[in-house]
Amino acid sequence: MLTSSAKLLLTGLLCAGCALASAADLSVICNSRVPLTTGDVRDLFLGEKQFAGAVKLVPVDNSSAQSVFLDKVLKMNAAKYSTTWTKKSFRDGINPPLLTGSDAEALAYVKRTPGACSYVTTATPPDVVVVARL
Amino acid sequence: MGTATPPRAGPSRVWVGALLVAGLGHTPVTYAAAADSERIATLEQKLDQSLQLIRQLSARVNDLEAQVAQAAPAAPAGRPGTGAAAAAAAQPGTAAATPPGTAAATPPGTAAATPADTAQRLARVEQTVTEMAASAGQRAEEGMATHGFADVGVGNHNATFSKYQGANVGELDFFLTPRLGSRTRALFELNFEVGSDGAVGVDLERAQLGYQFADSATVWLGRFHTPYGYYNTAFHHGQQIATSLRRPRFIDFEDHGGIMPAHTVGAWLTGSERVGDEKVTYDVFIGNSQRIQGGILDMNNAGNTHGSTIVGGNLGLILSGALDGLKVGVDVFQTRIEDEDVLPPLPTPATQVRSYGVYAAYDTDTWEDIGEFHVFDNQDLTGHTGTHRSDAGFLQMGYRAGRYTPYARYERGALQQSDHFFAAQTNGSSYYRTALGLRFDVDLVSSLKLELAETHLTDRVIDSYDEALLQYAIRF
Repeated sequence: MLTSSAKLLLTGLLCAGCALASAADLSVICNSRVPLTTGDVRDLFLGEKQFAGAVKLVPVDNSSAQSVFLDKVLKMNAAKYSTTWTKKSFRDGINPPLLTGSDAEALAYVKRTPGACSYVTTATPPDVVVVARL
Repeated sequence: MGTATPPRAGPSRVWVGALLVAGLGHTPVTYAAAADSERIATLEQKLDQSLQLIRQLSARVNDLEAQVAQAAPAAPAGRPGTGAAAAAAAQPGTAAATPPGTAAATPPGTAAATPADTAQRLARVEQTVTEMAASAGQRAEEGMATHGFADVGVGNHNATFSKYQGANVGELDFFLTPRLGSRTRALFELNFEVGSDGAVGVDLERAQLGYQFADSATVWLGRFHTPYGYYNTAFHHGQQIATSLRRPRFIDFEDHGGIMPAHTVGAWLTGSERVGDEKVTYDVFIGNSQRIQGGILDMNNAGNTHGSTIVGGNLGLILSGALDGLKVGVDVFQTRIEDEDVLPPLPTPATQVRSYGVYAAYDTDTWEDIGEFHVFDNQDLTGHTGTHRSDAGFLQMGYRAGRYTPYARYERGALQQSDHFFAAQTNGSSYYRTALGLRFDVDLVSSLKLELAETHLTDRVIDSYDEALLQYAIRF
């Protein structure tokens, strides 16, 4: 029988492990009906690619994983990402991605929205398509 | 999904919930070593978030158990083999199982929860969280996006109307991009700005309704920024996103003295297509030809009386690899401009204006360099003065050093005064201007710019003046 403190420590280690796994593993996910390739991800989140075949794409940012995504995929910081979208929006009249606050929100949005794509750091359920794992 | 041992004596449901949540949906840890402090801070933040999630889920499990406990009397009480789990079985979808490790809290004779029950309960909790998240996402989709720019300034001259000095209001610009559907697009831009008479005027800068066929083709109808060169469509009224304090004089807005038609009312087909690693962009447009009225170009928002048009296009190439950030392109337009300041019985002067342009823009984390050059090959349609060749261009270089961006710009316009198109415009004289400036990003959405400039007017009026200008610009 484990003592309470031992349990608490074990819980902490498990959660820390989860957090480390999350920081290391980033999955770009899409609604199951989206035909998208790894090479399209950058264009998708910068507004350069808005359609995949006949499907209108809906990029969705996830604030809990955004810094990792910007660093690994778009190779830019949050300030440049914001400015890039302001310019894009002003010039082309398109809106920046919606923003969700957690992996759960991002997953929920992607699952219920045709054409939606986002990124998460937790494990992905089978009913979404993993476009890239980084 | 996490697994659990059969229930034994366990004092804490939080402990069990924590283990289950920690195991929920996570693959075995792959330890990516990263020792820098930023990464550690990120991990600490995620640990905090995980602990918070554990607390929330534990609370949710307790709530669900409480609900089941309230529903339990509906089931035959005290019967062996019945209890919360049985109640759950009688009500599909109801989370009711007791967490592993909490059997001691279960009344004797009540069926203990199984791992399958636990999984069912956690699935229910997950579904609840998912529904809440979906609801939040739904709310985020609603509404119309509104953005804008504003700027104010001070200087020994007004940056736009040099006869004024002191403090000035630059502009307040709103642009709206409603979410209309997958392919229907709309963009409206409303601008409040100070005119040459010092009064505030309102302008419907853009009113575009469009349909997007694909990434490679969007057609817009309405009033739009004429897609010549680079600067006019990239920045236009967005002073905060432009490095420099103001636009080059010759491509300024029409009512600020610009000599090129910055706006067109008509139709515009635009798009881009990847060709290998590069990207090709294009614009083709047709609209009402402009006119000169009161010494300035007017874009004929209501149409014109003679049916003539402006027709043009822009072809660009966005490079990659070692030249990532570089865009080069060419543009051309032709229009027929009448000078309506000349009243009957005198014949209305008309000029066929042809403009050929070339541009390059290099935009990286460190550099922002822009160059544009336009040649005008104009013909007097009244047959008096023949054809005229003029040109105008600018080169601007900026170096991004953190929050500071020093920049330099040289611009010139060599505009033939025998060409009625330029002679009839208030600012149609030849000039050159050199400018040195410093942009300081106060934060992400505001910037402070200081510019020292020297302007020389070289033909219609021979004059020069020096300027020291300060501007505070924001975006929202």
